[in-house]
Amino acid sequence: MTLIGATLNTVGLLFLTHAVYSTHEHTATFPHAPLPLDITIELLVSILVLSAGIVFTSPSLKPIVWARWAGRLSREGRHGEGKWTREGEEILSEGDPYAFLGLDGGIGGKREGRLGFWDVRGKRKEYAEWAKNGGKQ
Amino acid sequence: MSHANLLSPPSSIPPKTALSLSQKAPLILAASPTSSLPWPLSLLFSRESPESWTIHENLFLSSLRTGDDKSARLTLDRMTTRFGADNERIIALRGIYEEALANTPAELEKVFQGYEKILREDPTNLSIRKRRVAILKSLGRPADAITALTVLLENSPTDVEAWAELSELYASQGLWAQAIYSLEEVLLVMPNAWSAHAQLATLYYLSTPSNITTLSLSLRYFCRSIELNDTYLRGYYGLKLVSQKLLPLLSDSTSLKRNNDEEEAGPPPKLATVKKLEELATSKLAEIVRQYNAGKTGWTGLDEAEVIAAKALLDHGGIER
Repeated sequence: MTLIGATLNTVGLLFLTHAVYSTHEHTATFPHAPLPLDITIELLVSILVLSAGIVFTSPSLKPIVWARWAGRLSREGRHGEGKWTREGEEILSEGDPYAFLGLDGGIGGKREGRLGFWDVRGKRKEYAEWAKNGGKQ
Repeated sequence: MSHANLLSPPSSIPPKTALSLSQKAPLILAASPTSSLPWPLSLLFSRESPESWTIHENLFLSSLRTGDDKSARLTLDRMTTRFGADNERIIALRGIYEEALANTPAELEKVFQGYEKILREDPTNLSIRKRRVAILKSLGRPADAITALTVLLENSPTDVEAWAELSELYASQGLWAQAIYSLEEVLLVMPNAWSAHAQLATLYYLSTPSNITTLSLSLRYFCRSIELNDTYLRGYYGLKLVSQKLLPLLSDSTSLKRNNDEEEAGPPPKLATVKKLEELATSKLAEIVRQYNAGKTGWTGLDEAEVIAAKALLDHGGIER
């Protein structure tokens, strides 16, 4: 899809540039003559091709229905989209917007979230015990 | 299914993931995002991006967790030079660092006194108020933590994070009615949060005394959570559990009459409806388990432990709690 889109965009841009240039040349040479039909057609066709290319290369749409959008979030999880920060961390797709509430793990769950109340000593203890037991699991 | 990504860390961090997160420290600490050149040049040659500081903060937290206090100190110093020692967030992070290094309860008490002093100077510092609650919880004083949280919420009643924490604290004390009330406050601010609906349903399910009213309320909230998220495994899991519990109660007509006076919650659901819901939950769970195990693309985001639990529920009728 992206290849078709890129081709259409290139072709459309070429034709658009050509049409604009022809118009400029024509009006410079014959200031009072009407524009020939082929330039008009070329302009219109180039715009159509370019629009089609832009539609093809646009990212896929998000589901409008909330439940389906949310369902896709939890089904697919977060995944990389081929972009990295300077520190070398991949930029992931959008995730559960309510994860910060930390309610997903159930009562007394071990999920992250609610960082304002982050229990640093508990987490340290958990890690120390894991390391003491040989770091398996 | 747990990539170690410091920019957006996974929703659950077991020790192994924490280790691989904190092992990125040397790489990130090697080059500072801010430039050391004098002012106008530093703007031109800065490597800073909006993500840099999120990464630093997450690195700070995970190195503290793995006991890599040296990296944590370096990260904290770097953030302090960038944002200043008076920044509310930096003050809270410094507090976390001191809490982590406190070995004895007496030392922790000293950190606590430090928080009190900060709050006397600036009573509006919400992050430090939250740290105070966290310390009280860590000291094993949940009643004091609850009091501190209620004071915080009186001053800032739309803080959903605090409401969620309060609900969790109440639930840990077995105060179900209060926990439910707090979570309803979360729903007032975020009515579309499917996890909050499922959590509320769980609270109703666990609350005592367990009767038709609480169970049907639980059923309703689980239904709402899957209405908001059509692949919400926890929602379907709970729906199946609750309807399995409700079915015998509903078919027993004597218990039905006794509870008819509960007007607030509305009439209990019809037997046929619950049966249908149970079938729906079963078929959806089966589909989720099948798709996940087949390893299809687009189904890899689910939590493996949750899928295993769902499979156990389908196979043996679940684990009794």
